Formats: sequence, C-alpha cells, structure tokens
Amino acid sequence: MGYVELKNVCKKYDKMDKNAVADFNLSIEENEFIAFVGPSGCGKSTTLRMIAGFEEISSGELYIDGKKMNEIAPMDRGISMVFQNYALYPHMSVEKNISYGLKNMKVPADEIKKKVDWAVKVLGLEEYRYRKPKNLSGGQRQRVALGRAIVKDSKLFLMDEPLSNLDAKLRVSMRNEISRLHRTLGSTTIYVTHDQVEAMTMADRIVIMKDGVIQQTGAPMEVYEHPVNKFVAGFIGSPQMNFYPVKLEGNTLSFEGGGTINLPERLAEKLSPRKELIMGIRGEDIKLDEQNMELYGADKQCATIENTEIMGNENNLYFPFGGITTVARVSKYEVSEIGDAVEFVMVPHKMHFFDPKTEAAIAL
Amino acid sequence: MKTRKQKICDWILAVVMLAASLLFLFPVIWMAANSFKTDAAITRDMNSLAAFIPPALNGNFFDNYITVLTNTSFLKYTVNTLFYAAVLIVLGVIVNGLAGYALAKIKFPFRERWLMIIMLLMIVPMETIITIHFFFIAKLGLLNNVVGYILPMIVSPFNIFLFRQFFVSLPDDVYEAAQLDHCSPIKYFFTMVLPMSKSVVATVSVFTFLNVWNDYLWPSLVFTSGDLLTAQIGLNAITANENTTMGQTLAVITLVTIPVIIIYTFFSKQIVEGVVSTGSKEG
Repeated sequence: MGYVELKNVCKKYDKMDKNAVADFNLSIEENEFIAFVGPSGCGKSTTLRMIAGFEEISSGELYIDGKKMNEIAPMDRGISMVFQNYALYPHMSVEKNISYGLKNMKVPADEIKKKVDWAVKVLGLEEYRYRKPKNLSGGQRQRVALGRAIVKDSKLFLMDEPLSNLDAKLRVSMRNEISRLHRTLGSTTIYVTHDQVEAMTMADRIVIMKDGVIQQTGAPMEVYEHPVNKFVAGFIGSPQMNFYPVKLEGNTLSFEGGGTINLPERLAEKLSPRKELIMGIRGEDIKLDEQNMELYGADKQCATIENTEIMGNENNLYFPFGGITTVARVSKYEVSEIGDAVEFVMVPHKMHFFDPKTEAAIAL
Repeated sequence: MKTRKQKICDWILAVVMLAASLLFLFPVIWMAANSFKTDAAITRDMNSLAAFIPPALNGNFFDNYITVLTNTSFLKYTVNTLFYAAVLIVLGVIVNGLAGYALAKIKFPFRERWLMIIMLLMIVPMETIITIHFFFIAKLGLLNNVVGYILPMIVSPFNIFLFRQFFVSLPDDVYEAAQLDHCSPIKYFFTMVLPMSKSVVATVSVFTFLNVWNDYLWPSLVFTSGDLLTAQIGLNAITANENTTMGQTLAVITLVTIPVIIIYTFFSKQIVEGVVSTGSKEG
C-alpha cells in the first residue's frame, strides 16, 4: 500500500448529474512528488480538497499512512497545504503566520522559535519577518505560505496551484524553490496545477485528468513520449501536438488537405487493417534541416509560412498543411519569415496514431 | 485638466455646500454659545447676531456647566450610559457577529430564509415591539435592572445584516488554512474573523454607541430608579426641573451632544468604510 491511497474515490455534488470526480484510483508512494494536471473543471482541485478533508468523499476510500481518513477532520490528517491565494492571516506578521499552527499545537516556545528561525532562513524571509502580508510581494507571500506549511513537520504536503498568481519569472524561481524544498524535506507532495510545464518540470509522476477521470498516470517523459490518448497527447507539450485526420492505404498515409507520406513497412503493418486514423506529431519532430531532409527527403512536403513565434532559443513556424495549421519547432538558426516557402519532413518513428472514434492511442 | 467652466461649477458647488452646512450648524452654534450665558444675557442677545457669539472669558464663564455637573446627577447618568454602551458594544459584536458569521459561512437548513426573516425584522420599527419587550422583561422580574435594560438591546437585525454582508466577502481558504493550523471554529472567529473585520466592527460599535446614547424610550420604560438612568432621561429630568435655568439647560444639551459630534468627527471614515464594504446603509 502506498503512503496515500485513493480507492474508487468519487465526488458528486447535489443537483449535478455527473460525478465531479469519478472512480479515482491512485497509490502515492512516500517521498513522491506527484502532480495532478488537467484543464479547468477536470476535478484535480476537488480531489486534492478531498484528500485535505475540505470536501466530503461521496464514495470510495482514502488512506493516508495506512489509516482510513474519510471521516477524519482536516487538522488530524497530518497534512500541510499551500493555497492558490496564499490564505495568509492578514493581521499577523510573517513570523506569527508561520508560528500560528505550532502555537495551537502547544509546541514549546523555544522549539517554535527554532523552527520559525529555520523556515525564515530557508525561505529567505529574514528581513520581512515582522512585516504583514499586505507589505509583501506575491512571491514573498507564497514563501510565507510555504513556511507555514514546512514548520509543521507534516509528512504530506498538498499544493493547490500555488504559483498561478505569480508572474512568469517568479514562477520559474519558485518552481525551483519548491523542488529544492521537496528534496530537502523528503515529504510526500501532491501538487495541483493546470500548467503542464510545472507538472513536467517538478513531478516524479504526473496524473492527467479530464472530466473527473484519470486519463494517464506516469513519469513526465513517459506521458510525453507515450500518451495513452489524444487528450493527453494534446495537453502535454507546448506547442500542442499537431493532429491530422489521415487515410492509410498500403503503407501510404494520405492527408485530408493533400500530401502523402510513405510509412516504413513495419509501422504500416502495425496500423493495418485500419483505414482511417488520426496522426499526431509534435512540432519538434517536424524537421527542416538538411540532415533530416537527406534521411527522410523522399517524403518531403512543401508549405508557406503563415506566422512565426521567435522564442530566442528556438522558433515556432506556423503553416497550413494537411487541413490544419501545423506548427514546427525549429532551432534559432533556422530562420524563416512569413511568406517563405519551406520544405519539411515528418520523422516517421515519432508519429503517434489514435483511433478516430475512441481517440485512444494505437500501440506501435 | 479641468476647464474654466468646470472650475466655476466647482466653486459654485463649494459655496452652496458651505451655505447648507452653515444652515445646519446654526442651531448647534447658537446652543453652544448661549450655554455659557446667564438667562438675562440669552434674552438680551436673542434678536441679534450676538446670539451666536459666546460671552467674554471671565470667572463665570463655565458657571452653567459647573452647576449642572455638581448640583445634578448628570455626571452619574453619563457614566451609566457609557457603561451600558460599553457592555452592549462587546455583547453586540459577539452575538450579532456570530449570527452574521453563521449566516455568511455556515451551511444549515433554511439559511437563506433565516436571512430573509432577519432582513424583514430590519423594517419593523422599535416602537412596535417595545411593548412586547417590556412585558417580557417585566415577567422576568428585570424591570429597573441593568440586565433587563441590556438584554433586549443586544440583538440587532441591522447589525447582524452588516456583519453577514461583510463576512460573505472573507476568503474561505483562510478558514481552511486555520483548520490545518489546529484552530477551532470559535477560536477562528475571535482570533481571525474579528481582527480581519475591523471596519465593520468599528461601524457596529459606533452605531451601537449612538443607539444607546440617543435612546430615550426603552430606558424610560425599564428604569424608574434615578441611580440607573441614562443621559437622555437625565437630560429630560434636569430640563423639566423648574429650578433649572435656560443657560443650564443649554449646557446639558451641549454636553449630551458632544459625544455624538466626537464620534462622527473621529469615526466618520470607519462608518463610511464599514457601510460601503457591506453594501448597505442604515434607515
């Protein structure tokens, strides 16, 4: 049994036909950093709140450290939580915010002082110790919220979109800080986010959810390389994977909007006898460079650039192909401008295929 | 950048506002100025501008005030009223605050209907239910008793509504964070909710104070003993006494008015903030 175990957990709200969370099964190991990721309304925060005890579990069982927790009050679950809006006590100083829980737990004063000193130092809050939350920046507030969580020595940390209110630069630094804290403290962490980059960069395992149902659970690269369905393939990765409705005849793949590719025979065999498919390919697997042109040049395609996104380290090129707007991610040295005609190839062994009806990935 | 026309409009508006405020201030100035005069001087100055000017500072300047404060029980009545107000502010904030919190944050059956009932009670004038209060207190044997006076004054539908409107806007995640910090609901109310709600607590305290200070009807029904009377009843008793001079009467009225002026001067910001933040206004 894992440190946190969810067995057939469901959440149903009154006056709602569908379950907000349906048949959620997951085992989380001790010291693991797991991220729940999915679009708004997918049930990730609801699941986290059920683990915290703020939402009642409609059916199913929740175990933390081997104990059934369904009926246990939040304060007795041995958890710490960091909230999206920080949830700091506005009338208390940084120090009092951090020590409040310890005081209520009747921890001796000298121990409280030691812990607060440690948290304030670890989080770089020494000079803000006596400030109130209104006099702190977003990042500093989030650090105080982290401090409040880490001083309690909880074995389980819950984080509900803790970085979503921060600007992009601060988010990156806080991401590192949370990862560092996780490594230092070694506590089990459940992290909810809608940002797949956060999930990919921080978590040991990712749980991808949609409409209250787990779509896939796995290590970041596993879900990136081997998505189980079209939703996961589209949700993980930026820019989003290109999806084309295609027809397969023999080993020739025909695109709806024109263009064909000859698949390697082994790949075509695995896909047959299917005739209609959805082919997915990530932007970085569409190549414009000479080396790949030489390798796959027999199936090169042509298109005219419609839009470009210059990212600095790389460029995203947008062009119409196969009935959709295709995005190719190329290196910063491959400069193209709007209106340029380009030739490109798609790397066959990087293609993903999905059933057009079920949208499930076809094992290759 | 304002145009010349807009600037002229602003000036006209300022002059009109100043004239209107002077109109309201005249009776107060007249009262305060004459409270330092003898009856003969008040009668002499009645029809002239001197009615608005206090006499020259001399040894008899504060005579009316000294007489009122030493020869009558007005000081005692004032202390009584301040004591009642203090007790009612504390109890009112706790009781109405808890009720407002329950209506705002705790889910229980028919919560919205309870709120409707409380809102309906706000439009019922005090005078219509005061007889019931009186019989109730009389049955309990609490007439002429401080508890009998205070008990029906604690609960105020308006204050419950003010608290409720403010508490609705408090974020739920602070309560959730406090729960994880081993804070009980009652402790949360006193250590988190009230400190986070200073503006509405200030508003309710000011309204409660003014209500107690200005109340005449209820204390006049409950109290018969001179020892327990409030300032307003004391004012009536003093002014009704045939030995009291006009100047002394005006001195007592001035003294009764001072706390109200002080409250509005120092707490007008909190009153406005509190009422604005709850989206409601009295009356």
